[in-house]
Amino acid sequence: MASGQLYALDLGQPLGDRKVLIADDSLYDQRILSRFLHWAGITRIACVSNGPELLSCIGAFDPDLLVVDADLACADLLALCRELRSNPRWHDLPILVQGAQMTDQMRTLCFQAGATDLLGKPVNPGECIARVRYHLERRSMVQELRAFRERVGQDLGQARAMQLSLAPEPLWLEALADRHHLSIAPVFETSDEVGGDFWTAFEIDAERIGVFIADLSGHGIAAAINAFRLHTLLARQPMEELMEPARLLTSLNQRLSAILARGQFATAFYGVIDRGSDRLHYAGAGSPPPLLARAGGLSVLDSSGLPLGILEEAGYVTRSAPFRDGDALFLYSDAMTEAQDADDTMLGDDGLADLVAQALAEAPAWPLLWVMTRFTERFGTRLCDDLTALWIARQDVPDRLFPPSD
Amino acid sequence: MDFTVSDVHDLTEIRLSGRMTFTDHNAFRSVIAAMDRPAGHRVVFDLSDLEFVDSTGLGVFFIAHDTARRKDLRLAMQGARDQVHRVFRAANLHGIIPVSA
Repeated sequence: MASGQLYALDLGQPLGDRKVLIADDSLYDQRILSRFLHWAGITRIACVSNGPELLSCIGAFDPDLLVVDADLACADLLALCRELRSNPRWHDLPILVQGAQMTDQMRTLCFQAGATDLLGKPVNPGECIARVRYHLERRSMVQELRAFRERVGQDLGQARAMQLSLAPEPLWLEALADRHHLSIAPVFETSDEVGGDFWTAFEIDAERIGVFIADLSGHGIAAAINAFRLHTLLARQPMEELMEPARLLTSLNQRLSAILARGQFATAFYGVIDRGSDRLHYAGAGSPPPLLARAGGLSVLDSSGLPLGILEEAGYVTRSAPFRDGDALFLYSDAMTEAQDADDTMLGDDGLADLVAQALAEAPAWPLLWVMTRFTERFGTRLCDDLTALWIARQDVPDRLFPPSD
Repeated sequence: MDFTVSDVHDLTEIRLSGRMTFTDHNAFRSVIAAMDRPAGHRVVFDLSDLEFVDSTGLGVFFIAHDTARRKDLRLAMQGARDQVHRVFRAANLHGIIPVSA
């Protein structure tokens, strides 16, 4: 009578390549167990008869599972288990202890010493095969998962570094800010994995720079891929397109509508700081509303607009606001306004405006640092979304060695 | 997020309630599936019980708009309030999905 009919078990994952080490001083018991394992499709089996033999053979044989008799000759079972577990190599090895009539206390001690499971003696073949199969399958799943995580972790680490490099290079940014009598302080933090935040700056001419911030919808890898696509599109924009905010958004929207999948979009804001006319010209596609800090107080810019990528024929509007020496622009991603504290209270638009107003009052020389410190205090550092924040201020250069050439 | 669908003649009313966030992707699929109606059919989203919508939730409305375009449905929405209303205003959603009286 074939075993398959008596103990009709689901075959599941093939186990032919798994190795099982049997430690039992009885040759008869070794043979019985081996036969059961054969029925389960396991043929790579080694047998040892005592403790020292087990310890000397295990390294070379490298089993995927160990079945050890509770009364193994020349062995203190509990000490044996502990010794095996103390070796990092056998940390995850399934150890099945087989014993006849083990007391509850003995069973508990076995588990405490590191046994994975217990088998009775004699064990019925069905139970033996089921338990062995379970532990082998679980071990291989854990190993696969660990290897996958390592590989993906490395890939994501690289992708994250690439995403961070999409933002303007710090030295370039500092030189740009210097030339234009601005201070540009960026915060760009990706969440645990990659995401869809993106920002960049352009030098249009001696008096104008452009600042672009966007948030690709979704999370993770898809959003990050779209952020890279957006970066490529922007890099190809001719200078004429960068001078007029609504024109840039219209052009980007047309291209993104063609390449983004259904339901994918990007909220965005593009502002041109024009020191020649002391104005900020800007257009929005549904980005979080930027804050403008001026002598009179804080105001909120209207950045409403259909997000990019939804409707090819969508139109955008260029608006304008005064932007003089001493004024500042605060741009940010919705990770700030949607952050929730320990009580699940969201910061919100008003909360953020309050925070910025306080920063201007209490730390006018380094408002972004103040805002981010308070923000981190209340909302923690573990982000579930990318966080971008930009503080751009017009400032007189205090000690100038040479008068301006204009 | 919870939702109910009620059909009366050529009008389907989809009522959304609770919070619409990226964790509700199964519900989102069902909401879009509820728009499987013949051409000319009216679909109205009732949002009076919707408390919050994040960017993923917003995306569902864009998909709804695209679905209505493909299936030639007459899509409208009503009842958006508070945070939901603010998000919709920022995204000019009323520009592509009319607000029904």
